[in-house]
Amino acid sequence: MASADKILKALSDSLGKRIIQTRTLQPGKSYIQVQTGAHKDAVRIVLQEDNEAGVSAITGVDLGETIELMYHIRTCDTIITIGAEVPKKDAKIESITDIFPGANFHEREVSDLFGVTFEGHPNPKRLILPEDWPENVFPLRKEVSVANIPSKIGNFGVSKDEKHVSSEERLVNIVLGPQHPALIEPEKFSLRVDGEIVRGVEPRIGYVHRGIEKAAESRTYLQDIYLVERICGICNACHAACFCQTVEAIMGVSVPPRARYLRTIILELNRIHSHMLLLGHAGLEIGYETLFHYMWRDRELIMDIMEALTGNRVIASFITIGGVRRDLKEEDVPKIKAELTKLKERLSFYKNLFESDSTLKMRTRNVGVLSKQDALKLGVVGPVARGSGVNMDVRRDEPYAAYNEIPFNVITYDEGDSWARLMVRLDEVGESVNIIQYALDHLPTGPYRVRVPRTVPTGEAIGRVEAPRGELFYYVKSNGTAYPERVKVRTPTFANILSFVHIAEGGNVADVPASFVSLDPCFSCTDR
Amino acid sequence: MKWARLKSPWVLHFNSGACNACDIEVVALLTPRYDVERFGILLEPSPRHADILLTTGVVTRQCADRLKRIYEQMPEPKFVIAIGACACSGGVFEGNYNVIGGVDKVIPVDVYIPGCPPKPEAIIDGVVKLLKSIEGGKQSGKR
Amino acid sequence: MSLDLNFVFRVLVFPGFAFILLFTMFCDWVERKIEARMQNRMGPIYTGPVGVLQPLADFIKLLTKEDIVPFNAKNFVFRFAPIVSLSIFVFSFAFLPIDGASVVSGSNFEGDLILVLTLVSIANFLLFLSGWSSTNPYSAIGATRVLTQLLGYDIPLFILALAPAFLAGSLNIAAIANKQYVPFAFLIPWTFALFIINLQAELEKDPFDVPHAETEIVAGYETEYTGRRLAFLKLAKDVQMVLGAAIAVELFLGGPYGPIFYGLSAVWYTLWFVLKLLIVVVVTEYLTCIFARLRIDQVLVVNWKLLLPLALLSLAVTVGVGLWLNPL
Repeated sequence: MASADKILKALSDSLGKRIIQTRTLQPGKSYIQVQTGAHKDAVRIVLQEDNEAGVSAITGVDLGETIELMYHIRTCDTIITIGAEVPKKDAKIESITDIFPGANFHEREVSDLFGVTFEGHPNPKRLILPEDWPENVFPLRKEVSVANIPSKIGNFGVSKDEKHVSSEERLVNIVLGPQHPALIEPEKFSLRVDGEIVRGVEPRIGYVHRGIEKAAESRTYLQDIYLVERICGICNACHAACFCQTVEAIMGVSVPPRARYLRTIILELNRIHSHMLLLGHAGLEIGYETLFHYMWRDRELIMDIMEALTGNRVIASFITIGGVRRDLKEEDVPKIKAELTKLKERLSFYKNLFESDSTLKMRTRNVGVLSKQDALKLGVVGPVARGSGVNMDVRRDEPYAAYNEIPFNVITYDEGDSWARLMVRLDEVGESVNIIQYALDHLPTGPYRVRVPRTVPTGEAIGRVEAPRGELFYYVKSNGTAYPERVKVRTPTFANILSFVHIAEGGNVADVPASFVSLDPCFSCTDR
Repeated sequence: MKWARLKSPWVLHFNSGACNACDIEVVALLTPRYDVERFGILLEPSPRHADILLTTGVVTRQCADRLKRIYEQMPEPKFVIAIGACACSGGVFEGNYNVIGGVDKVIPVDVYIPGCPPKPEAIIDGVVKLLKSIEGGKQSGKR
Repeated sequence: MSLDLNFVFRVLVFPGFAFILLFTMFCDWVERKIEARMQNRMGPIYTGPVGVLQPLADFIKLLTKEDIVPFNAKNFVFRFAPIVSLSIFVFSFAFLPIDGASVVSGSNFEGDLILVLTLVSIANFLLFLSGWSSTNPYSAIGATRVLTQLLGYDIPLFILALAPAFLAGSLNIAAIANKQYVPFAFLIPWTFALFIINLQAELEKDPFDVPHAETEIVAGYETEYTGRRLAFLKLAKDVQMVLGAAIAVELFLGGPYGPIFYGLSAVWYTLWFVLKLLIVVVVTEYLTCIFARLRIDQVLVVNWKLLLPLALLSLAVTVGVGLWLNPL
């Protein structure tokens, strides 16, 4: 745990002349631009100063002649950004995967979308764009407009699969997905299997890539809220909240207290429904259909509350820039509280089940173990990290909405296996119910929205929200018009995917769906 | 013959690029509150066992080929239901660079269920409408 | 030569082919309803009164679907394995007394217990072949899991079946059923309990559901089948379930023999048989709903390290009890 000032001092001491400029993005978050070769040293120094720090995201921004690469490093209570610029004509920079393995996918994504080559990267293949994408078209560069990209509708060929030439004859290549009953969403995982033991995993994502970051640049800020909500239907309120928070930070607008509490309520409702969805799905994966049906039946209580609050069961469309869109009616509050009380009783039943059922424990105990060291090195977030003993939660580390006024506990378990991750989520549901009850009891009166101007002043900001799956990170840069210059989204599952590779190797094929589901992947978030 | 087809429609669910909202409403159909097994609808894992394909989400370029192949693997007579605004016409993602559009740009669609996401009741309504039109003599769509 | 109408009736209609098929569908409906109620749902209710005709609708619908044979599949085995498997299961019913006498009079003989159990194993092997000949990686994995599980539970099955045979002093199923003045389930309850667990493994139900692991290997060995052959494959599995329950009923619950109140003894015997079989079906389905699915290696551990020694132990105990009751 090191404070931001200590880290900044350490950086300026060791790098000295190689720092080009330092500026503040928003209160508490600094940006240090260094010379291109010095970025690796800078990242290393920050990681050394704070041993629980991790690279949260790597953003690319097209500045015309150059591409700016920002390494956002998460420390215990803030984000420190190291920036470096590379010229567009010769976009090469050194990879940081040897000092932080978790940056693997972030770098591949930037190289896919911007065309930056990361030297020294262990696996520089396409990540998000389809295999048959033309070689030199980089969608997120400004000169590439959506109309230019040839739409070859008749030309969608079979994606050229990476041929895994296994050295041993008996390794069978099993492909999980894209259409597979275990995954609700299409992604492809190629497993190299020896009998029943998995020897290697190669994930291929990008099947749900809808080009949202590029689309956000051609829509106004208000339209963008609706766009980013639909990055993922399950955690939609978190995306909307994070985006609005970031834009409000650029504008310098502060949201009225009632709106902050209402935002907290909808965010926690989102968390409960997502965790219960996952726990039911976990039951389905390990063959425990009864658990699936019971859990989803109880989840309907939450869907009813969401419908009463926002008008829709899944996609809330509740949060907007400056507050929330509608108010909570006084007569609804006792109804909501009654439903929450019912839910709380059911939770003790589930807790008992998870702690005592023998077949469930046989399938999840000591399955898919992720040690604390690996969790830190790979940069995982959310319940995956908390299930391995890493104590991180954006709600406590960098409070937003009303979390600095509501007491709650951060749940961690130390075992690091699938069971621990599922238990973290189950306990978090209990905590969320408490938070909502507290918020309903202490709901301040007053306006629920402030009007904001349509154009946003020039500036940039970073926003973080604890989505059900982990830390959700947004970076928004505005250029003074009604359209954003750059919207960067780093979703929690994107940070967690590497752990899947790590967990699956060396285990049984039969454990793959079980450990996979305990990581709670959401690929529509990952691909955007 | 037709009675059997109407009473036992087996569905296959495929997500070709959706945000998951429609998918969780489809999965919610099996749960105790909506319980479509009452109608004989079973969620089948393999395309070869299914009669009706429920697709959600816009079609991304990578999924287009898979979608076509799954449609071809299903035995006749087969029907397709496009669920959600994205599957019907592209939704909010219309025009994005990796997006081809609605499902009917790739395979023939029999029923469109709009909504973002449509409530499970709306999905059941759509399936029942399809069954009624099968009863009225609808043939499966041409490739 | 005149056709023995009685014989034809018994083989084709009751208690032969037609009865077995319809009864299987009825048991399938019972299973689905129980599973649904345990999961707080309703299960099929619209197809026929209370949804009873649902399995029939499923069967007819599958028969009318397009028939697809994958390009790479081994044609002959792929086409015929399901139907042969079904036939063997149905044939095994010939040796079980359902209405007091076996299907074909005089068809039961000393040793038909061993024959029936062997036929069940052969039919299971054919199910494995059906998955193997599909040449789909998921089918192959599903098929190998069937085989692995078969090796695991087959031996305990035989050993456990010997216990009532010993108590009855014969290997003739009808005789074993006949000799049970008190059903053996009460005399040797431990063997009965183990037999039910073994039955779960044989019928591939939770916790031994591994060959059917939907979420891991798509549909296991059924993946590539469509239309008619899928209908036969599913029917074969259902008949296997009824057959397994029927064997349990014959060996442990006294078969069709029970008190007759008035009227035709055949009718009463059938009624008792149906009743006892439904009890076994309910028990196995209940066990299915309350357990998760074990991994294949955990299944093997349970089979070889748990079931087999316990089966041997129970046989030894039964022999001891039997000798004590009936000193040689």
